[in-house]
Amino acid sequence: MEGNGGMERPTTKPFGVSANELDTPALVVDLPTLDYNIETVHSFFRSAQSKVRPFASAHLCPAIASRQLMSDGSVGGISVATIGEAEVFAQHGISDITIVNRVVTWSKLNRLCALAHLSKVTVGVDTGTNVEDLSEAAIAAGVTLNVLVDVNTGSSLWGVDPGNPTLRLAQTIKKAPGLQFGGLAASGTFTSQENDTDAVGKIKHWVQPVLTTRELLEHQGINVDVVSAGDTSNYTIVGSIDGITEVPAGSYALMDTRYLGNSPQLKPAVKILSTVTSRPDRHTSILDAGQKSSNRDTGLPSIEGFPRATVTSTSAEHATVELDEDMENMFRVGDKVWLIPHDAGGCANLYDYMRIVRNGKLIAMWEIAARGRYR
Amino acid sequence: MDEYRPNPGLPVQELETPCLIVDMDALEHNYNHISETYRTGTTKMRQHVKDIKTPELAHMQIAAGGTVGGVCAAKVSEAEVMVESGISDVFITNQIVTPDKIARLCSLTQRASIKVCVDNPTNLLDLSRSAQALGATIGVLIEVDTSMHRAGVRSITEGVQLAKLASGLPGVDFKGVMSHQAISGKPDKETRMIEGRKFIQMCLDVRDAIEKEGIAVEMVSSGETFTYDVAPDMPGVTEVEGGTYALMSTAYSYLPEFQIAVKILGTIVSAPQSNMSVGDVGRRALASPNGVLPSLEGLPTVRVSELHDNHIVFHSNGPMPLAVGDRFLLHSGQQDILVNRWDQFIAVRRGFVECVWQILARGCHN
Repeated sequence: MEGNGGMERPTTKPFGVSANELDTPALVVDLPTLDYNIETVHSFFRSAQSKVRPFASAHLCPAIASRQLMSDGSVGGISVATIGEAEVFAQHGISDITIVNRVVTWSKLNRLCALAHLSKVTVGVDTGTNVEDLSEAAIAAGVTLNVLVDVNTGSSLWGVDPGNPTLRLAQTIKKAPGLQFGGLAASGTFTSQENDTDAVGKIKHWVQPVLTTRELLEHQGINVDVVSAGDTSNYTIVGSIDGITEVPAGSYALMDTRYLGNSPQLKPAVKILSTVTSRPDRHTSILDAGQKSSNRDTGLPSIEGFPRATVTSTSAEHATVELDEDMENMFRVGDKVWLIPHDAGGCANLYDYMRIVRNGKLIAMWEIAARGRYR
Repeated sequence: MDEYRPNPGLPVQELETPCLIVDMDALEHNYNHISETYRTGTTKMRQHVKDIKTPELAHMQIAAGGTVGGVCAAKVSEAEVMVESGISDVFITNQIVTPDKIARLCSLTQRASIKVCVDNPTNLLDLSRSAQALGATIGVLIEVDTSMHRAGVRSITEGVQLAKLASGLPGVDFKGVMSHQAISGKPDKETRMIEGRKFIQMCLDVRDAIEKEGIAVEMVSSGETFTYDVAPDMPGVTEVEGGTYALMSTAYSYLPEFQIAVKILGTIVSAPQSNMSVGDVGRRALASPNGVLPSLEGLPTVRVSELHDNHIVFHSNGPMPLAVGDRFLLHSGQQDILVNRWDQFIAVRRGFVECVWQILARGCHN
């Protein structure tokens, strides 16, 4: 593969092999669980006024994005975090992509416009300067960019204040050649504490300024086609609010322990298969999946099926498992151990392929084509 | 797979961001410091490629001198990448236990001298059986736990038993003993000397006990970046497994003789408050194990306050000097995890691109 960077190099196993026989560490997705998660979330949106716009940065995998868009309940397009990711998904045939980011440098404005020749491209703005630059780039490229105003809901890295500041920016966009005003996006999100009895009230309060602003714009004769807000942790609440048109949820497809507390109706579909490589004492097992392959950015992985075995730490190449008293004959050298990631998207970013299994057998390899596309 | 090949001569300020850059002057400084430290003594450096993942960088240190002429790797797949690049001596500082991987080890022995760690008799017997069946000879070193509480034998007796077993088995060649050490915080030189000597001595004690049994110990591989200047003073240590020193990390700022050679270039994309700016690089690209944050180069009034998946947040004391569109440079606190997230290094010298290196062992987890 001349010209490419590195690549994971597991021993190739034939389709049909038992998942437990995969070379480790391996990122493994259970297809029925993935489909169950997609069906659970999309069936909600089929009967709701709003639709889901899958946030594909949560898996970086075009095959999963296609599966999400094939399931009714979506807006027919996806959202992503970077232009590099958008380029990959457009290449894989996705025709409607929202970039949840700021695009401010000329090289990236030009890439955004190039992408708009291939796919409908939507981007958020929060400053007049950025509107001027986007307009200039779009005119030069001969494309139309769809633009949302990112409304600051008090929990974000950017966004213009709701009310009149948003109205003024929307009016600026309406007048800018090369740009189409698409609507409003709540910048950031709001995740309630698990078991918060007033989660619904708090989430409604969080999104209300965006809805009030939409009314203000419509009173001024500005059509607001899109009002985007929410994520996997709150989609049933945000997606039920009158006036919300789309929810950019992403984690629901693969799921991980970071989101499981808020979304018990979903199940972890992605796991990491690892091998015990050392058993230095009675209470300790060492696994071959460390920070480089199981990710420690947000939290430690969990062990599937053994509540009394705990990953107590990870180093670059290893995970250390602490075992309970009577587990001496378990987790022996060579045994396979399944880990559940804390951050599924962060783990996907570490691998080149997801190994797809059904009934415990390998049936496909899906390329994580947008892995590493940070720019 | 990301593909970015800026042309040599491009000013750094014009690079698309975020990108991973290597300051060539700093890298060469670090490599030369190692070659000078190890040139004359009997202890040599064996660079750990888990930190660099790039064959060109390994060859540069070997060419600069002071090394055993080979490298360490953490994984079989990493070792394969290095052997494919022409490196003829690889020590895998890890236990290789599955039949697939043991067969890959045996295959590598056809093209290079391959050594691996053991801490368990069953594993040793498996290695011997497979190597014998495939006509290979695998070098083995006993891993001794000195301070990591990870893999490794926990006692001298266990080490001696394994060495006895290894020296009598076909297909394996008993080479010696090895250990990894860890130290926390920012130790001063005296602390590094005391703690480093204590740990490395534990490994040497196992060597002594094995030699008392009449078994020759050819290799004692102990020491790493934090003991790079401790281990060579300890008679009997034949090689040091340094990794971080090449590209460096803010966690090792107590070793000012090494310069930060790897940096992440980013761009400010939002400035939502007068004392807050947001950059276009987050934990996905930077790696943040256990919440470790990177440091910003050159702006003492600005601190890194948060990492998101794809963004970094800066806050300033007083007016924020970083405006939308401005570039910034970050130093990593965990450089081996960082490098594994990227496909290319952009090598730069005095502000201009010099070349691009593919990080060929990126993603080599197996």
